[in-house]
Formats: sequence, structure tokens, C-alpha cells
Amino acid sequence: MVTEEEIEHVSKLMKIDVDDHKEYVEKVHTMIDYFDILDSAGVESEEISVQEIPISNLRDDKYIPFNQKLIEKLKHYKGTYVRAPKMSS
Amino acid sequence: MNLKISALDYVQEVKNGNISAEDFVAKTLERIHSVDEKLHAFLSVNENAVDQAREIDKKIKSGKKVGDCFGMPISIKDNLCIKESKTTCASKMLESFIAPYDATVITKLKEQDAIFVGKVNMDEFAMGLTTEFSAFGPSKNPWNLEYVPGGSSGGSAVSVSAFECVASLGSDTGGSVRNPASFCSTVGYKPTYGLISRYGLISYANSIEQIGPLTRTVKDTAFMLNLISGVDSKDNTTIENNNEDYLLGINSGIEGKKIGIIKEMIGEGIDPAVLSATKEAISKFEGLGAICEEISLDMVKYSVAAYYTITATEAGSNLARYDNLRYGYDFPVEGYEFNSYISKARRNFGPEVKRRMILGGFVPSAGHAGKYFLKALKVKSKLTKEVNEAFEKFDLLIAPTVPVLPFKLGEKINDPISLFLVDINTVTANLTGKPAISIPFSHSNGLPIGIQILADSGKDKLLLQAAYALEQTVSLPEVPI
Repeated sequence: MVTEEEIEHVSKLMKIDVDDHKEYVEKVHTMIDYFDILDSAGVESEEISVQEIPISNLRDDKYIPFNQKLIEKLKHYKGTYVRAPKMSS
Repeated sequence: MNLKISALDYVQEVKNGNISAEDFVAKTLERIHSVDEKLHAFLSVNENAVDQAREIDKKIKSGKKVGDCFGMPISIKDNLCIKESKTTCASKMLESFIAPYDATVITKLKEQDAIFVGKVNMDEFAMGLTTEFSAFGPSKNPWNLEYVPGGSSGGSAVSVSAFECVASLGSDTGGSVRNPASFCSTVGYKPTYGLISRYGLISYANSIEQIGPLTRTVKDTAFMLNLISGVDSKDNTTIENNNEDYLLGINSGIEGKKIGIIKEMIGEGIDPAVLSATKEAISKFEGLGAICEEISLDMVKYSVAAYYTITATEAGSNLARYDNLRYGYDFPVEGYEFNSYISKARRNFGPEVKRRMILGGFVPSAGHAGKYFLKALKVKSKLTKEVNEAFEKFDLLIAPTVPVLPFKLGEKINDPISLFLVDINTVTANLTGKPAISIPFSHSNGLPIGIQILADSGKDKLLLQAAYALEQTVSLPEVPI
């Protein structure tokens, strides 16, 4: 069982501002309740399989120049800096 | 001019000089302008398409080498980047985003002289299965405008079904190509994981999603796969296609092949018309010389919960980048503290995206990961084992693509669990990385029914051969729009 407080806390952590809090919480609650079906899957002893990619398959860690100034595609920038809000009020 | 031809017929007609790329593309744009007001498949239309087609005709006339598409008009789901084109993901967050580069599939299709007639509608960030969660309004099912077209690649399926293009590219995370293909009576293909590069696909759940074609015929899907599959140095999850020609031998038949009927996908909750169509498909396969037997995959009943847990977690991480500083819409930063600015800016996400991001923060969090996320990964592992064991006994597996018929717009939008369960037959292929195809098979009360076939990883060619064999047994009505 998940509490409304937990869901509100997570929404803050995920930086989601929600107006109609009650409706959201109810729907998320319903979804998480449905996930409880996983408890009856009987997979406790199952190993989690992972896909390994050898380092040789990764592309080289080298600088590849891009033929455009990407910063100019941003809405708020000055020179080579991105304009961002201040870190504290 | 007949716009209702297949991609391969289009290529042949242009090659033979019976039609020009310019005329065909011009007629296609006319068709879009005349029917899309009702259907809303397109979010943006490439008004330069006719000029581009004219250039291809010039190449043909001058005897220059022409790519295999010969100016074929294709629509592209709006989560695939086309350089210097809007790529919105059907989200207000990316409403004005212009992609600075091409996705690998786009590069490959450009090299083959394809023409992109427009970007098509989808559920926001591919989160949904009806297109009702598009920030720009839903697409409509061309078979009945009051019904959903499926999703999330709903615009792709509508545009192919309603003859607004010859083929389309979508993306399939839990059935997002196959579900709308089934609802709109087109072919929809989810390849083996890694067969098609995801570079330039805006990420939702990287570990299971794949780009896939939607076409009018199985042969057209094989043709598209020939053009876009293979290793890409920009996506290290891609796998070799060994220069496979998926068209070659597509008519080999399936005599003697063993097909497993997935018991859990034809059980409780299935619409009687869908069940009846599935039985008919099985009977047709038997008539073609296949041996069909029932098989049980116990983990299927947990697959939807595992799927939503895993995808929400990956989405929570992938969508963290949308802080409205690097991507986003016009919302000035002045007067805001950093975190409150991001939270305010992210209000522009739609309700379904917000819900899934909250889920994505919750299910892997400390104190809950063991109960949800880790258990979901274990279900995924066990399901993969079950399916691998099934493929030791069977060559192919069969089930209806969707257990229910297309439903009315708005009918399920407020019932998340009911919507979740529409995915029950499609998520298995994504969680296990197996290839799967939906082919148009039947109709009930004017609404399409698709049949899904799955094969083992890397057996895409066999899968297309089986789908082609079944397709040849079917004769379906024409879309009424």
C-alpha cells in the first residue's frame, strides 16, 4: 500500500508540479496497486539477466566536431553560455 | 492516379516510367490535404516534397543512379529526428524543437531517395496506445472516425491505412507499432532488438524499444527492413543483419513449421470476434501445412505490470533532460529559482507523461525497488527463459495482436488499468527482444482485427515468410475514407 504523502514526495523529487493533486495521486495509486500482482509471480529466486556489451563494441571516446553551433538553437543563451535561473533565491 | 498501391508496386511503376515521382507525391499531398482534417494523422507536412520528387525524376531521366525508394512518400513518427525539421514527440515541451541531425534510419532512407511527406501523430513521448495522449489532439481511426486508431504510432498507421503515404516508420516499446497496425488494418513490424538503429529516436525506454515499419503488405515490410536494418556505430546495441535480403524467398511457405498458440493470450477478457479470427488464422496455417499446438507461458500474466514498471523507470530517467534550458518552449528564466523554474516548466508535460514520471520515480526508489523494479526485472528474465524454451519446441508463436476490438475515443482514457491490459499480447516481444509482426486478418462490425506472429531472435526472415503465407489467404475490404 502506497501513501499519498509518498507519491507527493516523489512528484517533488521528479520536479513535477501538479495542480489537480488529488486526481493524480488517485490514478498513480491505482497503477501502483496494480503492480502488486508482481508479488504473486514467484520470481524471488530468479537471477536478473543483463546484456553485456564488451568495451571493444563501444565507439572511441574522441571529440567529433559538429558542423553547427548548437548553442544558437537554444532560446536563452549569451555567447557560449546557457542562461539558467539562479541557484538560490 | 492510384494512390492505393504497395511500396514495391510504386517503385516498379516509377522504374517502368508509368508514373513520375512528382505526380505521385503531388497526389499524395492532395490526399493529405483533403482527408487529414478528419483523421489528424499529420502534425506537420513537408510542403517541399513535390520539389524533392521532381529532383528524383530528373535523376531518373538523366540516367544517374537512383536509390531503391525512387521518391516513395513515407511518413515518419514525430519522435524520429529529421534534420532541420520539427520533432515534437507530440508534446508541448518540444513544440518548437528543430532536430539538428538525422536519425540513422532517416539517413539510410535519404540515401535511398525516399521522400518524407510529413511527421505523424503519436501519444506524447510514445506513452499511450490510442494517440489520445497527444498534446495536439487524437488521431481518428479511418475505419470509423469515432474510434481510436491505436498507438502510440497511431499517426503512422492512419497515414498508411488512409493512403496518405505508401509506408511509415513508427517505434514500438510495448506494441506501439503492432497495436495501431492491428486497429487500422496495416502490417506493423517490431524487429529483433538491435536489428534497427535507435540513434535519433527520442528515448522512452531504451532497453526494449525499437523502430519498426508500418506498410500495406508484408513484402513492403521486408523491403523497408532491407533498407534500414544493420549495425550502426552510433548505437552500440545494434546487431548484424548479415546483409540479409528479407524479400528473397519470402514465398517459401511454412509447410512443416511448428506454431505455438499462446494460451494466456487467448483467455479471459478476449473479445469473441477476436478469438474467432485467431482460430481461423490457426486453421489457415494448418491448411498451409503448419503444425499448431497450444503452449502456456505462465509469466505473460505478470508481463504488463513488469513492462510498466520497467518503462516508467527508464522514462523517469530519460525525461529528466527536459529542464527547458537545453530543450523546450519559450518560458523566460527571470525571477525563478533553479528548481522551481524546472518544476514550473515541466508543467507543460501532459497528464500521462506526468503520471508515468511519478511512477518512474517511485518504483525504483529506496524501500520500493525490491517490491517493484527488481521484481519486474526478474519477471522479464523468467519470461525470456519461458519464451526461449518455447522456441526450442516451436518455430513460431501466434496470438491476436490485441485481445479487444478498437474502442471509442474517450472510452478508456480515464481507466489506466483497462488501458494497460490492451497491451497484454504485445509487451512479451519487447520484454524478450523477439521479433513480432501484426498482419491485417479480419473485420468485425467494420473494425479491423490483426493477428500477431512471433519468432525467435534473429529469425526475422522466417517471421516474414510466415506472415506472407498467412497474408496470401486473406481478402479484406478497402478503408471507407
